[in-house]
Amino acid sequence: MSLILLTVVVVHLPLLLMKLPLQSYDANFHIFFASHYVHHWFNPWNPKWYAGFSQTTYPPLTQQWVALVSRILGLDMAYMAVQFAAIVLLALGVYRFSLLWVSARAASIAALASVFLGSESFLVYSAGQLGTTCAAPIYLNALPFLFEWIRQGKWRSFLKASVLFTAAAAAHHATLLFGSFFFAVPVLVLVFLDRQDDERVSASAFVGRTAAIAVVVGAAIAVVLLPFWIALIHNPVTQAPIPHPSRANYILSPQWGLNYFIVPYGALILALPFIFIRGSMVTRLRPLLIGFWVAFMVGLGGTTPVGHILLGRAFDVLTMERFSYWATLLALPFVGLLASELIDRYRSWAVVSLTVAAALSCALAVSWATYRPADAEDFKVDTVALWLNRDGHDQYRYITLGFGNKIARLAVMTDASSVDGEWNSGRTLPELTQFGGGALTSSKYFNKAGLDALRAMLMHADHYGLKWVFVRDHYYDPLLSFAGWRQVDSLEDKTITVWSKDGVPPATPVNSAQMPPHWQGLMWGILPFGSSLLAILVIFIPERRRGMRRSNDSFSSDKLLAERMAS
Amino acid sequence: MKKGHLFAALLGALTVVLILIGTEWPVPSAAAYAGGGGLLRSSSTPEETAANLVDEIRMQAWDKAYASLANKAQFTEDEFKRDITGYYPSLRTYATLESFEVTPLHESADEAEIRVKLHWSTVVGVSVSTRDLHMMRNGDHWEAEWPIVKEAVVPPQVIPVNYLRWDVIYRGPGDDWGIQDVEAPHVRIVDMHPVERAEGLVILGELLNEDVVPANVSVTATLLSKSQSPIATEGSFDKISHLLLPKQVTPFLIEFSNVTLSQVGSVRMVPTSSLVSASADPVIEIEDQQLNPAPGASLTGQLINQSGQIVNVAHVLGTFYDKTGQVVWVADEYIDRALLPQTPIPFEIHIPQDLASQVSSQRTVVATYSSGGSQ
Repeated sequence: MSLILLTVVVVHLPLLLMKLPLQSYDANFHIFFASHYVHHWFNPWNPKWYAGFSQTTYPPLTQQWVALVSRILGLDMAYMAVQFAAIVLLALGVYRFSLLWVSARAASIAALASVFLGSESFLVYSAGQLGTTCAAPIYLNALPFLFEWIRQGKWRSFLKASVLFTAAAAAHHATLLFGSFFFAVPVLVLVFLDRQDDERVSASAFVGRTAAIAVVVGAAIAVVLLPFWIALIHNPVTQAPIPHPSRANYILSPQWGLNYFIVPYGALILALPFIFIRGSMVTRLRPLLIGFWVAFMVGLGGTTPVGHILLGRAFDVLTMERFSYWATLLALPFVGLLASELIDRYRSWAVVSLTVAAALSCALAVSWATYRPADAEDFKVDTVALWLNRDGHDQYRYITLGFGNKIARLAVMTDASSVDGEWNSGRTLPELTQFGGGALTSSKYFNKAGLDALRAMLMHADHYGLKWVFVRDHYYDPLLSFAGWRQVDSLEDKTITVWSKDGVPPATPVNSAQMPPHWQGLMWGILPFGSSLLAILVIFIPERRRGMRRSNDSFSSDKLLAERMAS
Repeated sequence: MKKGHLFAALLGALTVVLILIGTEWPVPSAAAYAGGGGLLRSSSTPEETAANLVDEIRMQAWDKAYASLANKAQFTEDEFKRDITGYYPSLRTYATLESFEVTPLHESADEAEIRVKLHWSTVVGVSVSTRDLHMMRNGDHWEAEWPIVKEAVVPPQVIPVNYLRWDVIYRGPGDDWGIQDVEAPHVRIVDMHPVERAEGLVILGELLNEDVVPANVSVTATLLSKSQSPIATEGSFDKISHLLLPKQVTPFLIEFSNVTLSQVGSVRMVPTSSLVSASADPVIEIEDQQLNPAPGASLTGQLINQSGQIVNVAHVLGTFYDKTGQVVWVADEYIDRALLPQTPIPFEIHIPQDLASQVSSQRTVVATYSSGGSQ
C-alpha cells in the first residue's frame, strides 16, 4: 500500500502543486464557495451571485475543508490539498472495495490503477469536480464496512459504514444517491451470494441489517443536510433544462465521444471484453458487472436511450461524466484481476505494457485540459475586480459577457454582486430559470435560450441595480447598443470594455425570502463538517482482522476458477 | 453453451442493440448536438434532401452541405458560406440556426420546388429568412440547387461627408459614471397611451429631444393600480431609438405581460436622458416606403446607406398613426445583413392584422450599429 501511496505522490502531487486544476471548468466555482465559508462559516447566504443565493443548495463538506485549510495555505493551495487527500483516499478506497471481489494482489493492482485512472484525472484536471472526486473515495471506503455489517452483524462496522456514508453525502449528495444503486446494491447481492463456512447469511438477518443501516444512514443524512433538503423542497429544480454535451450521442458527435468516453476510459476500453466475459462467467462477480454495466450505459449519455429512460427528467439536469467515473471505479476490480493474470502469464512484458497503457491513459486525461481548455483564452480579471471595488462601483450589480468560468475567480476578488453565476441549481431569478440557458456570460453558446435569458436580464436591469456590463466578446455589442447601454471605459489593454446604463438605482437585496434562517446556518456550519470529523475519529477504532480474512477466503474459490479459465 | 457465456453474449448483444437504437433514433438532447437526425439519413424525397441540407448548414458543416448541392459548379464553397453568413460582419455572421420549416411548393417526378424558412438566433433576437430551393432527382436520390445571391460590388468612389457632430469632454478615467455632473438634455414625451393586447398591456408613445445637444434616452413606465400601488415597472429596452439628435423624435413601446387594462388606474412615465457624443453619420435614407394592406399587412421599403462606412446592424422602427394622428402601433425589424455604401437593402415590418385597418400613415426611423463604435 505504501508503494501505491508513493505513486499517488509522484504522479499527482507535482500536478497539484502546479495548480493544474485551476484551469478546469469547476475548480474556481468550488473556490468561490469556499471563499464565502472563509468569511461566513455560519451564514450560507451568498449575495455575490444571482443577486443573492443560498449555498445550502450544494453539499458543503469539501468546500468547508478548503476554507479551513486556506487559513494556512491560501484558497488555491487549500483546494489542491483537499483534492490530493481525495486522490489518496481513492487509492485506499479502491483497494478496500476491490478486496470484496478479488484477491489482495488484484486489489492492490486495482488501487495502483486508480492512480492512473483517466476518469479521475479528467474530473480533477479538466472538470474540476471536487465534490464527486471526494465523495466517491469516502463511499468506497464505507462499502467494506457495509459488507461486514450485513454479513457478520458487527456493530463497529455498522458505525463506521454509517458515519462514512453520511460524510460522503455531505461531500456530494448525488454520489450517495446513485452510488447506492451502482455500488451498494452489488455489495448487498454479494453478501447474499457469498458463503461463510458454507452458510449464507439468513434472509431475516440480511433484510433486518439492510433496513437498519438504510434507516440510520437515511436519517443521519436527512439531519446533516437538512438545510439542503429544505432548500430543495422550497426551490425544486424546475428550471428549463440546460444543454450539456455529455448527453450527446458519442457516435453521431465524435468530438464529444472523444471528450467523454475516450479520455475518461483510456486504455480501460481494451479491458471491456474481459470485464463482460469474466463478469458473466464468475457468479460472484456478476453483481459487480451489472452495476458497472448500468453505470457504463448511463455514462454513454445520449449514445443509448438507457440514461434517458432510467433517469427521466434528471437526465436533462445531471451531467453524464460522473457516471463514467463511477463505471470506471466499478471496473477497477476487473482491471486488477486482468492485470494480475496477465502478469502471471507474460511477466515483465505484461508489466511494461500495462505500465505504458496506464501512463498513456493518465497523460491523455491530464493533458486534455490543455488540448480542450475550459477557457479558450486565459486572461486576468484582477483589473475588473479593482475597477468594481473602487469609487463605489460595487453599489451596483454587474454581469460579464465572454468571461467563461473566470466569473467565479472574479467573484472571489470583488465585493460587488452579480446577477449571474455558475451554480445553476442555486438560481431562482425568473429571468435565468425559464429559458434553458446557462451562465449569462456564455449566453451565445446556449443559442436562443441563452440570449433570451440575457435580454430578459438586461430588460430588468433597473430592478436588480444592474449597472455594469463587462464585455470581452464583442458579439454582444449590438444588443447592448440597441438596448441603450453605453461604453464608458475599457480595461486590460482595451480587450475588456465596460458598459453602463443610465438611471439605474443602486442595488438592493432581493430574494431575501429564500435566505436561510440563522438556525439553518448553524446546522450547515456544524453538522456536515462534523460528520467528516466523526468519520476520521471512528476510522481509528481498532478493527478485528477476522472479517477481512473471511472476504479473502470467500474469494479464494473464485480465484481458482478464474485461474483455471485463464489457463 | 454455458450459462456464463450466454449471459456475456446477451449483455454484449444488448449493449450493441441499445447503442444502435440510440444512434438511429437519438434522444432529444443527443439529436440537438447531432443536427437533429440519426446516423442514416435518407434523401429519397425532396423534403428529406432539403432538411438534410439545412441540418448541415445548422451544424456549420459547410463542406458537406456544399458537396451535396446540384449546382455547386456555379460558385465556390466560400461563396456559398458567405451567402449564408454574410459577406461583411452582420447579425447573420454569428447567428445560429435555431429551427427551420420545409414546405413543398411544387413537385413532379424529377423536379420539385421546396421553400425553407430559416429561424436564426441572433444576439438581438430571432431573424427569419426564406429560401426557395429547386430540387432535382439524380438516380435514387434528390439534390438541391442553392439559390445563391452574390453580394453587389460597389465600385471605388469618393463620398464627401458633411454631417453634424457633437463631442463631450468628460472629466477623465476617474469620472463617476453613475452620475453625470452636467444638466441632462431636455426630452419630452409627446404622445403616450396604453393598448391592450392578447399577451398583455402595451404602452405606446413618442419621445422628443427638445434640446440642442444629442441625448441618450430611455423611457420607463410604472403601472399603478386604482389605489395607486405599483403593479409593475418595465422599460422600453430596444423598442426605442436610444440616440436622439437635437429635435429628433423616437417612438417607444413598453410591454407588460399578463397585465390587463382594467387593473390599471394610472401610468407613471419616466423619461431619462444623458448627454452623449454623437454624429449624424451614417445617414440612412429610406426609400420606396409602402404600407401594404391586410392580409399580411406590413410596411416595406429600402434602406440606403449614404455614408462611406459599412453599417453592420440596422434597426428599423416604424410608428403607425391613425387618421387623427394618434400612434396606434410601434413595430421594428433588425436588418441581418450589413448595409454597404450606396447599396439598397429591403426591409419589411409586420403590422398586427387587427390594427392594420386603423393605420393611415407611418413614420420610420433607423438606428445603426457599426463595429468599432456604436451609434
